[in-house]
Amino acid sequence: MSLIVDDLTVKLYTNFKKKEFFNVADSVSFSVQNGEIIAIVGESGSGKSFLGLSLMRLNPPYISEISSGNIFVSSPENSEKINIAKLKENKLSDVRGRLISMIFQDPNVSLNPVIKIGDQIIEAILAHKKMKKKDAADIAMHYLELMRIDGKARFNSYPHELSGGMRQRVMIAMAMVLNPAVLVADEPTTALDVKTSLQVLALIEKMRVEKNVSVIFISHDLSIARNISDKTIVFYAGQIMEYGKTEDIINNPVHPYTISLIKSVPALSKDYVPREKLFVIPGSLSQNDFKSGKCRFYGRCFKKTEECLNNISLLKLNGERFVRCINIK
Amino acid sequence: MDDNKKQEVLNISNLSKYYFSYGSLFNVRKNIIRAVDNISFKVYEGEIFSIIGETGCGKSTLSKLILGLTNKTSGEILYKGDILNYNLKKLNLRKKIQIVFQDPYYSLNPKKKIYKIISLPAIKNKMIKKKDALHYSIQMLKKVGLDENYVFKFPHELSGGQRQRISIARSLSVNPELLVLDEPVSALDVSVSAQILNLLLDLHEKDNLTYIFITHDLRLVRHLADKVCVMYGGKIMEISPVDRFFKGPAHPYSKVLLESILAYGPKNILQFADADGNINNINNINNINNINNINNINAGIQKNNRGCVYYNLCSRRQDKCMNNEPELKENEDYRINCFFPYNL
Ligand SMILES: Nc1ncnc2c1ncn2[C@@H]1O[C@H](COP(=O)(O)OP(=O)(O)OP(=O)(O)O)[C@@H](O)[C@H]1O
Ligand SMILES: Nc1ncnc2c1ncn2[C@@H]1O[C@H](COP(=O)(O)OP(=O)(O)OP(=O)(O)O)[C@@H](O)[C@H]1O
Ligand code: SF4
Ligand code: SF4
Ligand SMILES: [Mg+2]
Ligand SMILES: [Mg+2]
Repeated sequence: MSLIVDDLTVKLYTNFKKKEFFNVADSVSFSVQNGEIIAIVGESGSGKSFLGLSLMRLNPPYISEISSGNIFVSSPENSEKINIAKLKENKLSDVRGRLISMIFQDPNVSLNPVIKIGDQIIEAILAHKKMKKKDAADIAMHYLELMRIDGKARFNSYPHELSGGMRQRVMIAMAMVLNPAVLVADEPTTALDVKTSLQVLALIEKMRVEKNVSVIFISHDLSIARNISDKTIVFYAGQIMEYGKTEDIINNPVHPYTISLIKSVPALSKDYVPREKLFVIPGSLSQNDFKSGKCRFYGRCFKKTEECLNNISLLKLNGERFVRCINIK
Repeated sequence: MDDNKKQEVLNISNLSKYYFSYGSLFNVRKNIIRAVDNISFKVYEGEIFSIIGETGCGKSTLSKLILGLTNKTSGEILYKGDILNYNLKKLNLRKKIQIVFQDPYYSLNPKKKIYKIISLPAIKNKMIKKKDALHYSIQMLKKVGLDENYVFKFPHELSGGQRQRISIARSLSVNPELLVLDEPVSALDVSVSAQILNLLLDLHEKDNLTYIFITHDLRLVRHLADKVCVMYGGKIMEISPVDRFFKGPAHPYSKVLLESILAYGPKNILQFADADGNINNINNINNINNINNINNINAGIQKNNRGCVYYNLCSRRQDKCMNNEPELKENEDYRINCFFPYNL
């Protein structure tokens, strides 16, 4: 296992003085093997980015904190196992980038607009490793080329001189350059067209095969998740709603939320009828849902019953399949 | 099909838009960006005409040309037989064509209340008086499935889907006949996007509106379009009826596009035959070696002015394609811009 998330709860304060908060991640547990890709899927505002950021303790300080749980990362190369959730502040920078790194949803966070991309990657290397600048430059060049970017031509480019797809690939190069055990990729293809995003997916896959990296792939699109991931977490209002092998989840969704998500996208399946009304999930996700004591999907669910007004826990269906719903038969 | 019987709404012929970028003061070599390059096509009444192509291929430039938001370099656009010439400020024509932009966050004036946003185009076009603005915008809101409670709100008080409904309501407020939808759902969540797609299909059925639907998502094309027009490097590669296209596209570039969507799509679906009649089932992310060499589109386009724009990346290219512009293969059903298309 390269990552074990164990009962992680993250508080987000809506009013710090009055100690008003909600759990933006609520008792989240899952684990990722070396070289495994796990997708986290859910609507906008469900807390996916927050969860991803928290795994590196990059969740915004002052307004949020990890209130309980553990995040164990380990590298396949040596047996060190570190609990990021409990790590001292001054030890964090050693872990970030080296054991776990991230492609941020907002590209402005990862790339500095006024520094040439080659120099940015060199800086990232030198922050962790003592070596000559020239050697770091060679590594940077190597990673750019792994990402199929013409290193010689682009080393001295500024971010704005690259296309969206190229910038995305530079960010992957930068995240991968220290050979981390875990890569968190937050919506890495959302802003890209089909072909470019396929290219980015292929490169993530390549990193998995060649570097054995484990990937947390965050997306709001189940159909992208299905082809890149081994396992999928369907996430809603800070909670895991359904968790299991991606194939099982797509072919046999059990949770009403998962079923709703699948039905709201025009599919490419054979039995699909053009122009048939798409399913619309009524209502919308609100911050109040995070505080709700009943099933958090209750207000929008097509299967709700009175029993759903209780707190619903994550049930184990079989082996690796978990569902948070009491009306699954 | 019976295109002859249907009324022609838009007839675009030899339309081009070039952007020029200059080198430094002393090196005044001009770079030409052929954003839209000698394009011709027709759109018929009540049709959903989709335009697909990767980023930078000229989709938005084309929609701006149709809307008169940018000047053309050459060519002609006929709207129901009339020349669209925006310099003459033919407001009457202009209001028959409206656009809905991709981003519902930036396309609405944040300082204006919803009813003002919706009614402004109608007031400008002298269709209604200022005092009727409120009443009128409530009617428009109903059309897009929102109630009157929204009229006094500001854009920031609405969700992404609601904002996109407002943009649609604003476009509908001048009774357009043709709506240009430039990636209307790509900034939205799946559940919100489902609402908007349903709404667009409803409006289409009720009012027989004609759509030009710009997207890079082939799933949407298949879901709602009648025809698909594939663009690459400012040119049209293929125009085909949607059914035919998804059975097996004819242009080499269309095939790559379709393969890339299939690589996303569910396993064991949508198989199609290649030129030799073999069934391809491309659903494995590892199978996409051909995608990896599609690095720099613009480099591919600029090197090659005389021949086919797709030459540098094409898997079926032959010597002939390098120096000759492909001929249009055309019948009433399709148009293919290629010397060596897949079986038709
Ligand atoms: N910096 C912040 N300050 C306060 N609240 C925040 C902040 N960032 C996010 N939130 C809130 O936390 C919740 C989860 O947000 P998060 O960004 O994790 O969602 P997400 O699932 O990544 O959504 P998206 O798909 O839109 O990226 C939301 O209710 C959001 O409004
Ligand atoms: N104002 C401009 N000045 C110079 N070049 C421009 C301008 N607008 C667009 N271009 C260029 O014209 C080409 C076509 O751009 P356009 O915006 O039409 O593409 P698109 O197909 O809409 O792409 P996307 O899918 O990214 O929206 C691109 O190469 C672009 O860089
Ligand atoms: S517990 Fe009830 S409300 Fe929640 S998802 Fe299941 S059926 Fe729906
Ligand atoms: S004309 Fe030639 S180069 Fe162009 S798409 Fe057809 S086969 Fe390929
Ligand atoms: Mg996010
Ligand atoms: Mg565009």
